[in-house]
Amino acid sequence: MKADIAVVGSGLTALVATRTLQKAGRNPVLIWPGLSSLYFLYASVDVLGYASASSVQPLEEPVTGVRQLIAENPDHPYARAGLAALEDGSNLLLEWLREAGFNWQGTLARNLLLPTALGTPKPSCLVPASMVAGDLHRDEPIVFCGFEGYQDFIPELAAANLSHGWNGGSRTVSAVRVSLPGVKPDRLFTSIDLARNFEDGAFRREVAGRLRRAVKEDGARLGLPAVLGLTHDNDVHAEFEKETGHPVFEIPTVPPSVLGLRLFDRLRRHLQETGVEMIWAAPAHDAEVANGRCARIHLKAAGREQSVEARAYLLALEDVVDGAWRAGPHTVRDPFFHQVLAQHATPAERTDESLFQPQPFATIGYPVNDRLQPIEKDGHPLATNVFVAGGGIAGYDPTGIKARGGMAIATGYRAAQEAMAA
Amino acid sequence: MPDTSTGVVVIGGGSTGAGVLRDLTLRGIDAILVEKGDLASGTTGRSHGLLHSGGRYCVNDLAAAIECVEEGRILRRIARTTVEDTGGYFVSVSEEDEAWEPRFVEGCQKAGITCERISVEEARRREPALSTRVRTVFWVPEDGHLDPFYLVVGNVESARRRGAQIRTYTEAIGFTRTGNRISGVLTRDAMTGEETSIGCQAVVNATGAWSGFVARLLDVEVKVVPVKGVMVVLSRRLAHAAINRCHKPGDGDIVVPGLSVAILGTTAVKVPHPEVLPIEWDEVQLLIDEGAKMLDGVTTARAMRAYAGVRPLYDLGAEAEGREMSRNFAVIDHEERDGVAGFTSIVGGKVTTYRLMAERVADLVARRLGVTNPCTTAEVPLNDREDEMDQLRHRPAQLGVPKPHGDELALQPLLCECELVRPQDVEGWMKDPAVRTLEDIRRRTRSGMGPCQAAICSYRLAGRMVTDRGVDGQTATRAMADFLETRWRGVRHVFWGSQLRQAQVTAGLHLELFNADRQLQEYFPPPLGEGQGGGVPAEAVEAVSQP
Repeated sequence: MKADIAVVGSGLTALVATRTLQKAGRNPVLIWPGLSSLYFLYASVDVLGYASASSVQPLEEPVTGVRQLIAENPDHPYARAGLAALEDGSNLLLEWLREAGFNWQGTLARNLLLPTALGTPKPSCLVPASMVAGDLHRDEPIVFCGFEGYQDFIPELAAANLSHGWNGGSRTVSAVRVSLPGVKPDRLFTSIDLARNFEDGAFRREVAGRLRRAVKEDGARLGLPAVLGLTHDNDVHAEFEKETGHPVFEIPTVPPSVLGLRLFDRLRRHLQETGVEMIWAAPAHDAEVANGRCARIHLKAAGREQSVEARAYLLALEDVVDGAWRAGPHTVRDPFFHQVLAQHATPAERTDESLFQPQPFATIGYPVNDRLQPIEKDGHPLATNVFVAGGGIAGYDPTGIKARGGMAIATGYRAAQEAMAA
Repeated sequence: MPDTSTGVVVIGGGSTGAGVLRDLTLRGIDAILVEKGDLASGTTGRSHGLLHSGGRYCVNDLAAAIECVEEGRILRRIARTTVEDTGGYFVSVSEEDEAWEPRFVEGCQKAGITCERISVEEARRREPALSTRVRTVFWVPEDGHLDPFYLVVGNVESARRRGAQIRTYTEAIGFTRTGNRISGVLTRDAMTGEETSIGCQAVVNATGAWSGFVARLLDVEVKVVPVKGVMVVLSRRLAHAAINRCHKPGDGDIVVPGLSVAILGTTAVKVPHPEVLPIEWDEVQLLIDEGAKMLDGVTTARAMRAYAGVRPLYDLGAEAEGREMSRNFAVIDHEERDGVAGFTSIVGGKVTTYRLMAERVADLVARRLGVTNPCTTAEVPLNDREDEMDQLRHRPAQLGVPKPHGDELALQPLLCECELVRPQDVEGWMKDPAVRTLEDIRRRTRSGMGPCQAAICSYRLAGRMVTDRGVDGQTATRAMADFLETRWRGVRHVFWGSQLRQAQVTAGLHLELFNADRQLQEYFPPPLGEGQGGGVPAEAVEAVSQP
């Protein structure tokens, strides 16, 4: 098929890039190589939680932090994308979320500090409104609420950690558990089952009643696993606050993450509804380059070969999760140009000895120039009409600094601008 | 006065120590087992799990082969639920292998090993993954898979019901003597540091590769050479049966199917210390290359992790007296050899022959204690109480434990989806004081052993530490991190393809969604002057290195 601009990817980077192109009046085709990383890695948009992977103090002002990061690290993906791309891209995303029916809050000027399912305070920037009441800058007591038989949110664990870590243990944190009407704790149910149930008013009111009776503290906030509706989260959250009589906030859980599902499913549906063409489950395996430009890319789509011919290509891959790289024991290659992106004497070299430290494998990617074009060793672009965003960029590691969403937005937005100019 | 008293203290909670404990107890002898880590956390739990038919030894070590034949048959009687009757094949893939075949066939005949040559076509019909390089195939029905942890727990629980005590995370740090006779053992809790003395009449040193260290506390020498073996775990079985190379036993010549996985074994490298077991890349590569000569799919299957175990190879050179000897293992009577009355070591051997080893050492100890009751471990089954194994642990899919109907099973919640572990399978263990870490839970339930390597169940288990054991957040978070780090150390060595993708999900979940690196930093801040932090403290990482 022929296309204006082909975007390859399935995470937030690809969504933002596609939306940017769409809003600019271009005609993008979105190619999903595999499962979306939104299911696993996203709940909110973290822009910059910490100044470095080893700093302990969370940043209050993410935009100030990004400005400083750019000044100190000219090769950082944020620096290559530019602060303007982060700001414009964030505005574009927030506007899009509103248009798609989400209620999100937050600004780049300020981090919220939200409790995780482990009970750790975590800085986060742009978040669903249903998470906002968890902000630890506020003083009200927190009651973590879990459900009998539900394994993916342990209120007692969250409370045990947060009671230690929140302002040196000076705040009130507790945990309650209630049984769910009609749900047998010895039967298998997942976050998705619960989220569906919470869309039912009678079910929700019954749970709210049980929580009202279980929670003793007046004025306490209730922290619940993110299961307040699979699709109609705005209504469910607002209703549930009324029904419980407490501020309520959602907390992301292990996969399947309902927050990620909501985001991914609605945004991709919105793109489809507004006319963006998509090719599903189509990993690329080759790109043809002629006269310094990429002529077409070859996909394995739905059991057959398909090629896409576009004026420009935007590779918005999320590292390895969506199958961006072909990693053998020694060599990591990209699926388009078969470039050797990394070579290791042993596979263990790709890792740190500790899971909780920055991982060398996370930084594997295309070396890029300031236009986000993948480049050869001599600095020349592999193809002048190809641009990289997100985890595909060498040195891209949002994990330790907690910047996955912001880096996705900034590079996705910037690469889209470059692709339009190509 | 000692804090407590018993007849015999058995040191070592591997298959040998557990076997000795049970054997003594069945003879009516009062005994306590002390183990410095968890049960089966040393050599036993890190074996590849082959129940030897004897085929691998029948040419070079006929006595050992015969022991395997006999013990394999006994184990199928007394420990039915720990054995999966996979059968095995010995396959030739080269001319050198073919030259070995007549010696192999002769060895099987001499040892009494059932062995049948079948056509390659027939073999491939049974095992479609057999490589096209395979030239000759022998079917050896008595190879099997032995669940080493289940075996140890079965022995220990059987002994416990007869009054024996089991103390895990309890290290023997000294002995008391009356004249030339041992009169007690001083132990230390590995976690609390609390010291306890146990008065006794005899001590059995069943610590395998660690035997020399225990003997040295009494100024006695036991020469054990620790020999490392590396193994690689694939996420699928690839074959129904164990696949052995038909040649002189060497590196990378066996693929053992165990429950849902296949284990590629193994290498043999002398190491300076039984706890120094580095996994080298050339070993991992060799296992995959050699395995691929026998089975297709070894190179393309998802490798989940690599791990290393240590064999306690007994140095027979200087030992001429004071022991009953087999080609396979040795009982050292230190009273006769060194003048230390009441102290006996058992060294060498293999999991398949653990019962025989226990019998030999218990014979000696019983004789010295004047107990004439004979050994009954070859007759009395481990699960001599109704449904004992059900209560020990549920492995519904694999071990023939009575299970609910298929659709009911599917509707039950799972704590570990990869290994089909249900919440109720861990409940009892969570309350067991012998269980200290999430690795201990893993050994007992298989939780965390599947493709995701504890990414999900570690959170649920940490939660249960709080709800079921009442620990604080710091302890639970540390337990979760230690568990993940232990898994990580095995995953790192097979870090390509699917496991690399898995790692990004694991890191994303724990470091981004949970912000666990910062939680760890808060509980365990890095030492002053060090910029890096957030990892689990080094001493916690070094403390455990398990499969």
